[in-house]
Amino acid sequence: MANRAGAQRPNGATQGKICQFKLVLLGESAVGKSSLVLRFVKGQFHEYQESTIGAAFLTQTVCLDDTTVKFEIWDTAGQERYHSLAPMYYRGAQAAIVVYDITNQDTFGRAKTWVKELQRQASPNIVIALAGNKSDLSNKRMVEYEEAQAYAEENSLLFMETSAKTAMNVNDIFLAIAKKLPKNEGGGAAQPRQQGMKINNSETSQASEGGCCK
Amino acid sequence: MTMLGKAEYGVTTFFTRSHPNDKCGANGLPLTPNSVKVLGRFQGLKHLKHPQICKYLDIVKDKHERMVIVCEHYRNCLSSKSSTFSSREKLTEIAYGVLKGLAYLNSIGITHRNLSKDNILFDAEGQVKLAEYGLYYMTGYGAEVAFPIGMPQYLAPEVLAEAPITVDEHSDVEPEVLNPSGPKVDVWSLGMILLEMMCAQDLWTGLTMPQIFHKIFAFLKTDQSPLQSIAKDNSLTETLKTLTPDVVEFLNKCLTVSVKHRPSPSELLKDDIFTELRLKEVPYRNGFQLFSTESRCKDLELPVYGENGTIMQDFDFDHLSLRNMEEVYYLWRLAGGDLEALLRKEGLVITKPPITLLPSFCTNEGDVFGQRRDRAELLDSIVITASQEQLRNRLSEVDEKAYYPLLEDEQSSMTSSLPLSPSSSDLTNTASLPLVIKEKDVEYQFHRIILYERLLKAYPYKRAHIWKEARVDIPPLVRAPVWAALLEVEGDIEGLYNSIDKDTITPTDRQIEVDIPRCHQYHELLSSPTAHVKFKRVLKAWVVSHPEYVYWQGLDSLCAPFLALNFTNEALAYACLTAFIPKYLHKIFLKDNSQVIQEYLAVFSHLIAFHDPELGNHLDGIGFIPDLYAIPWFLTMYAHVFPLHKIVHLWDTLLLGNSSFPLCIGVAILQQFRDRLLSFGFNECILLFSDMPEIDIQRCVQDSIKIFCSTPKSATYRQHARPPKKAQKEESRPNLSYYSRDYNDQPSTDLSMEPIPIEELKREKVPRISAEDLIELGELTGPAHSKSPTKRKQNSKPMLLVVDVRTDSDWLKQHHVTTCKSSYKPEWFAGVQKSW
Ligand SMILES: Nc1nc2c(ncn2[C@@H]2O[C@H](COP(=O)(O)OP(=O)(O)O)[C@@H](O)[C@H]2O)c(=O)[nH]1
Ligand SMILES: [Mg+2]
Repeated sequence: MANRAGAQRPNGATQGKICQFKLVLLGESAVGKSSLVLRFVKGQFHEYQESTIGAAFLTQTVCLDDTTVKFEIWDTAGQERYHSLAPMYYRGAQAAIVVYDITNQDTFGRAKTWVKELQRQASPNIVIALAGNKSDLSNKRMVEYEEAQAYAEENSLLFMETSAKTAMNVNDIFLAIAKKLPKNEGGGAAQPRQQGMKINNSETSQASEGGCCK
Repeated sequence: MTMLGKAEYGVTTFFTRSHPNDKCGANGLPLTPNSVKVLGRFQGLKHLKHPQICKYLDIVKDKHERMVIVCEHYRNCLSSKSSTFSSREKLTEIAYGVLKGLAYLNSIGITHRNLSKDNILFDAEGQVKLAEYGLYYMTGYGAEVAFPIGMPQYLAPEVLAEAPITVDEHSDVEPEVLNPSGPKVDVWSLGMILLEMMCAQDLWTGLTMPQIFHKIFAFLKTDQSPLQSIAKDNSLTETLKTLTPDVVEFLNKCLTVSVKHRPSPSELLKDDIFTELRLKEVPYRNGFQLFSTESRCKDLELPVYGENGTIMQDFDFDHLSLRNMEEVYYLWRLAGGDLEALLRKEGLVITKPPITLLPSFCTNEGDVFGQRRDRAELLDSIVITASQEQLRNRLSEVDEKAYYPLLEDEQSSMTSSLPLSPSSSDLTNTASLPLVIKEKDVEYQFHRIILYERLLKAYPYKRAHIWKEARVDIPPLVRAPVWAALLEVEGDIEGLYNSIDKDTITPTDRQIEVDIPRCHQYHELLSSPTAHVKFKRVLKAWVVSHPEYVYWQGLDSLCAPFLALNFTNEALAYACLTAFIPKYLHKIFLKDNSQVIQEYLAVFSHLIAFHDPELGNHLDGIGFIPDLYAIPWFLTMYAHVFPLHKIVHLWDTLLLGNSSFPLCIGVAILQQFRDRLLSFGFNECILLFSDMPEIDIQRCVQDSIKIFCSTPKSATYRQHARPPKKAQKEESRPNLSYYSRDYNDQPSTDLSMEPIPIEELKREKVPRISAEDLIELGELTGPAHSKSPTKRKQNSKPMLLVVDVRTDSDWLKQHHVTTCKSSYKPEWFAGVQKSW
């Protein structure tokens, strides 16, 4: 059900182009980063989703027309203290989802800080999406849709309000990112393999080298 | 400790109110089931101890929000033997007993609110024992159950005057009793009960509940004393006249309409009517507690000797009755005691074919109609007594002496001190069985518990002995104090904990608050609101009292096992956490811990390469570095990645190891998945550990021990490890084994390890070892004072192959006879990582 928008298990996709992208989730803790990933990858939602320590890694493949897009998703710890680890994860990422919780104004402020940091430090062509999560709790809303949308436009970010709980807009935001990512040879942001973060292995290195398609 | 004595185990059951299906709390999370709230609150009751109350032992959450409660129980109660109690002396004695019990409960904020003739029990000596005193408290003052609490005819007027709890199924605020009954309602109930007893007659029999309520309400409107009206109502006016004036006076005090003027239980205890009893009274002391310094032989009674020098004592002495009630209950469950079967046998749980349980109608929201839950809305006042027969049979062949094991013989190993048992022939066999089996073996657990109980009484003096026994196993029942003993918790932990400010709001609070509702919430106890409050207090206490450190996400997971074990003893949970962190996580919670973590992870990589070069090379080659997966392992000592029932077994052993032991556990985990990891690429590897896969924890523990024992101590040297402990402390401790001591705690010489810069450490693939270890392991010198863990048989070959990679000229100048020469080829050297 969660994968209705064409998401598919990795082994299903063989024809057409295959693209591999590294995507990182950032945002204050408990805004629902892990829940969004869990919804996108496994179609599940856990009420008592455990906190993330360090980072977690998951993959999911979506099909876009004739292209198969494989996301390598890094879900990071939200606490400010783990900030020093974040660059390790967003370095070389072609896409980022910065998440805030629509019922908490502070988390929106924190999201803006993340966007700034990404604009300054991450790969220059990185696609950034802003997700206002927990939209199912709209009666507790503290961050107005318009306010966030205006901010997103100013900074040319993709923007959606999502709910990991009801699955609203979850696949859509990943698909929107997939659409926006360059899929032609050499068009993608180069994926410099930094030391301490070598994630290509011998079998998939051709596919992931350069972070684009074969 | 409350001894079993002649007590039985009474089992009662009730249902909590279930929430409507689609309802959410303010945070968007589903509402905590009422049963879980009750479960959490109940834990505090287990801790209550007083001669006039029955001890609560256990609560079990069954299907459909059914709660099953186990409590100390006696068959004699006030309603069963009315006639024998009609004497004035006896009744004042009972009143005094009840009031003492109530006053104790009030002193810890509990109101009975449910007093009746059925729950005023008498033990074998005829002492009053209150039962069911926790129902009102544990159900959130009745908010979490759908039945009313308290017998209508004994309810005080003000109880009825309060607005009843109404539940609005569609609001998202949960029902809450804002103005719970205070201690004085019980005094009214006591007055009514005493009056019934004095007159040997039940009051208001034949009236319906509304009629009774009407009568009670009427007291609010007249000035006439309730006692007189009740007497008139029940044609007792003549009987009242036969009572002595002081008794009437006392009843009038109890049955005072105005709450303000009605005395509380503790005030009533000072009443003149009790003067005689007060004088006879022996003050009550609390029983033995862990870490108390009180002399325990104070009330020792020496045996009386007969004329021919034999001890005058009956031979059929019931040793089990001297054991702790909780302990016997624990054994009772192991011996096959099954609460649900008990309820089923008594007809309280009726099993029906599932097809008959299907609802007739079901809405989209999941609300079901047309299916009545059995007795769901009612409280069963039936108390089922659980038979101890099965347990007693199982233990019947246990030798008397086994109840009083001797501790003096420290030379003999634990296994040889285990008594032979006629039924399972030899318990030493059991000792070597897998943990899951040992933990279910009644007889084995019986011996272990008794032994540990004795040892713990002698803590800290018997620390070394506890340590030794813990290497065999730790029975779940005594795990909490044993862990505290292994962590060397001592002193006035209560006082210390109380002195910490856990209330002032700090900037860390938000983080703690968002983490707690996500921490081990599958655990019924930890998911209760009571647990969340305690959780927050313990974490705040730690953060506040360690200004050099800060709250890192993960500290919550670390706290969880201690809290779950010491649920009713926050101070001990805190003390254990506080002792655990410096032992295994020294400096890890510094605001900037990157140096410490980097070093830790680098040493971990080295250790993988050392023990499993093939795996190490593979993981290194695909870029699967510990930084990407092992931070939650070490930061929480695996408490974030395993469920609690596995953590306790892992930590049972971890606590016996030194600060390097966690690294060995990490290697053992990787090795358990070795085949898969070797065939995996980066993505598959990292996916494997994103959600810790099912792991055989006992095998993991065994492997870690093996790995630990075959690692030269200097190989896990870390410059950021805890510096040597102060010598003074060392002296007061028993000489712990080599394994438990830290490298830094050993005398350092110029041959010991020296710190190297982190960059260099990270560049290296394999661990360095100290010259000392080299000399010893390679037996380059004569018999050394044993420092390395590698125990081995005599005359076996050295454990080390030394390859000399210096230049030829250096080699020729000087070398040791046992070393081999190699012309240095880096690629060759890279292959040899494990030297034996
Ligand atoms: N109501 C609601 N709750 C959510 C949603 N997403 C996450 N949560 C809850 O918010 C809490 C934190 O989620 P989590 O994914 O762990 O946040 P993270 O720290 O950002 O990874 C969990 O209790 C989730 O159940 C959502 O869309 N709606
Ligand atoms: Mg998370």
